[in-house]
Amino acid sequence: MEGIRSRDLLRKIKEFTLSILEDLSEGRSPLISIQRFRIYCANFDSNCGCRSNKPNGHEILTFQKESHVHRIDVLLRVLLIVQQLLQESKHASKRDIYYMHPLVFSDQTVVDRAINDICILLQCSRHNLNVVSVGTGLVMGWLRFFEAGRKFDCINSSNTAHTIPVLVEDVKDIVSVAHYILIVEKESVFQRLANDKFCSKNRCIVITGRGYPDVSTRRFLRLLVDKLCLPVYCLVDCDPYGVDILATYRFGSMQMAYDAKFLRVPRIQWLGAFPSDSENYNLPQQCLLPLTMEDKRRTEAMLQRCYLHQEVPGWRSELELMLQRGTKFEIEALAVHSLSFLSEVYIPCKIQEITSICHI
Amino acid sequence: MDISSVQKLCIHLISSAYQRCRLSEDLCRLSVLLESTLATPIVRVSISDTGTGSCLEEFQDLKYSREGLGTEKWDGLLSIKTTSISDNKIYHYHLNLRESGSSRRLTRLPSIPKNDTKFSGTEVCLSISDTIDALLTEIKRFFQKMLILMIPCVAAELVIKRGDVPGLPCENIFLPNECNPLNFSSSNVERLKSGLEEYVLKHGNILNNKCDSCFCSREQLKISSGVACSMESQRGPGLIVEAVIAISELAESPCFGSRSNKTEVLHFKDFSPCSASVASLNALTSIDWRSYGLTFGSIVDQVDHALIEWESLPPDLRIGKYKHQPDRHLIKKAVKLALDDFKGKYTGFLLSAHAVKICSYAPDLASSIAGIILSSNDLEFRSRCASLLKLSQSQEIGRQTVEDYCIKGKIISVIETNDRKPEKSKEAAPLLFEDYRPQDLEPIPYLEEYEGGDDGFSFQD
Repeated sequence: MEGIRSRDLLRKIKEFTLSILEDLSEGRSPLISIQRFRIYCANFDSNCGCRSNKPNGHEILTFQKESHVHRIDVLLRVLLIVQQLLQESKHASKRDIYYMHPLVFSDQTVVDRAINDICILLQCSRHNLNVVSVGTGLVMGWLRFFEAGRKFDCINSSNTAHTIPVLVEDVKDIVSVAHYILIVEKESVFQRLANDKFCSKNRCIVITGRGYPDVSTRRFLRLLVDKLCLPVYCLVDCDPYGVDILATYRFGSMQMAYDAKFLRVPRIQWLGAFPSDSENYNLPQQCLLPLTMEDKRRTEAMLQRCYLHQEVPGWRSELELMLQRGTKFEIEALAVHSLSFLSEVYIPCKIQEITSICHI
Repeated sequence: MDISSVQKLCIHLISSAYQRCRLSEDLCRLSVLLESTLATPIVRVSISDTGTGSCLEEFQDLKYSREGLGTEKWDGLLSIKTTSISDNKIYHYHLNLRESGSSRRLTRLPSIPKNDTKFSGTEVCLSISDTIDALLTEIKRFFQKMLILMIPCVAAELVIKRGDVPGLPCENIFLPNECNPLNFSSSNVERLKSGLEEYVLKHGNILNNKCDSCFCSREQLKISSGVACSMESQRGPGLIVEAVIAISELAESPCFGSRSNKTEVLHFKDFSPCSASVASLNALTSIDWRSYGLTFGSIVDQVDHALIEWESLPPDLRIGKYKHQPDRHLIKKAVKLALDDFKGKYTGFLLSAHAVKICSYAPDLASSIAGIILSSNDLEFRSRCASLLKLSQSQEIGRQTVEDYCIKGKIISVIETNDRKPEKSKEAAPLLFEDYRPQDLEPIPYLEEYEGGDDGFSFQD
């Protein structure tokens, strides 16, 4: 949520604290209500409401259950730290916060959950709390922007990778002559395209989240899409993880469900790789790996998600085909023909296919 | 009434005398005399009271068991003198319980005229082949327990005359506490509470006064009670069970050493000590002791009383329980009421294990809340918090321990209040609103799918 100022959040923290104190001073057990959000469910009806951005019920934390009290304890400790960060205009990473009370927090996920709870309580995004993470995303291509006074000029060296800035709210003056944005799942594929000087021959912006994208990468991508209104294509491995990463970019993640509407990119299209590509591009049998039990379990679980039925039935068909065939393959397998097959043949063909379909 | 030993016979006769005194509702004296001579090992037992006169049936109903008593201990003869207030003579009987048939058992002896004086009372005498000491322990114990009931206006004495000891006879006097404000109008349960308090303070009524080495003040002993009744119905008359609990806060007792994990349970029925019934043992076993922070181990019925052994005792607690009338559900209800009464009166006691665990979070919760208040750079906010905590302005600044103490105290108080509520109301609020989908609650299963993204743990963070 942009435009939220530290002042507003500090005020909300004080109001929250006062309400707890009021309850305690009147001998009442405090009740902390935290809304719950989700981006998908197992209900295939069109009225499941997962895409409405509305909360899906709430849970109430009380002093009556030990698990709740532990959660409240963690939440209050993190809230105290957040108040200090906001008052002093300092930033800390989630890992920094973990190390402030490692014995109590016991695990990073405990801190992550508390941060999420606070975001929901204060109705803000994580970066509003001055809680940051070291960025993992990379970008290259026909793009220029400024971040906190620094210039990122990808246009001058379009095949050089730059780290996606963490403080996305500080990104300004975006200029681009690209025709589309290409997202690739893995850093290895990103590097392949850089080596092949893909951006010299293709007017585009290439981004990678290096696996599951972090919040900064997703926010940056969303910013580019909102500012530049370019088509977005996504290239992932033909396996359950790849499709899940694609779904994360498109629909958001369950963990950041409360913020999904600011993080998802609805216009993203699945470029490849599809199960059918293994025939269409003559992949030899040895490139096809069998799906493990875990892969199959994951695929079956993903097939239960409502958006695969309601929004992207085409994706669902590909996933079902993958499960039916029982095989998967990585993007790199396309290099079986030649090292630069991906950059010179596969991607341009796929983009041609998609754009010609769109123009029909 | 079956008699299985001479001790039980004496106790029964004394108990009957007590009841007669209680029913007279007037100042009464009960006297037990144990007399032995040098010549023969015979003890003459005389039990006399100034209560209502007795009727013969209560003696005739005694069943003499040859196997239990043995012919050598007692010849079966009772000498009875009794008179009611309205009688003009004292009736004198000999009753031979060894004989069967009412005509052979009873011998009427000449009555003694009262010469227009108004009194009532009974004297029962018997001779037993045994030593005084064989009877003494049990009779003394009986008196010590009877004092718990605090039957008003009955003065009891036990006199021992040993033929071989020259000098004055030895006397023990058992009086209800004269300082006690109880009177005839106090309820039974009030008497029971007061009686139990005295019993514990005097180490089982062995001492005449409160033990000052163990109890510096009476406040160290905490008492509560519960009464459960059932209505009169076709199945029978209404029943009442009264339960009283005493808990003393002694880490170490100068008289008994370190605290024990056993609790004495005394039973009374119809204003007389009795042994624990099966119903009572079942009732005590079936109570959910964990909701009072106690771990029940076992219950053993000993001759004189029942004993509960706890697997672990919360610090500084001993419990005694007393009740009338056997009926399992009523007993359980009465004891539960007494336990809830205790919890309600004395904050912080008998907290369930669950509440104790939650209280352990109180210092950290208080510290975080205090931290948020004190580290805020908004003075108005801080002074609003101070006024909510009822702290003066000068106190709140820089006194984190004060904030901790105030806030922590309030948190603990709220937890204790929650613990006192009945079980069914505890869960209502959270479940009312939850859209209960276990897979969406902790830990989020989707976490395992995240490898290196921002949403999971990543070294890059």
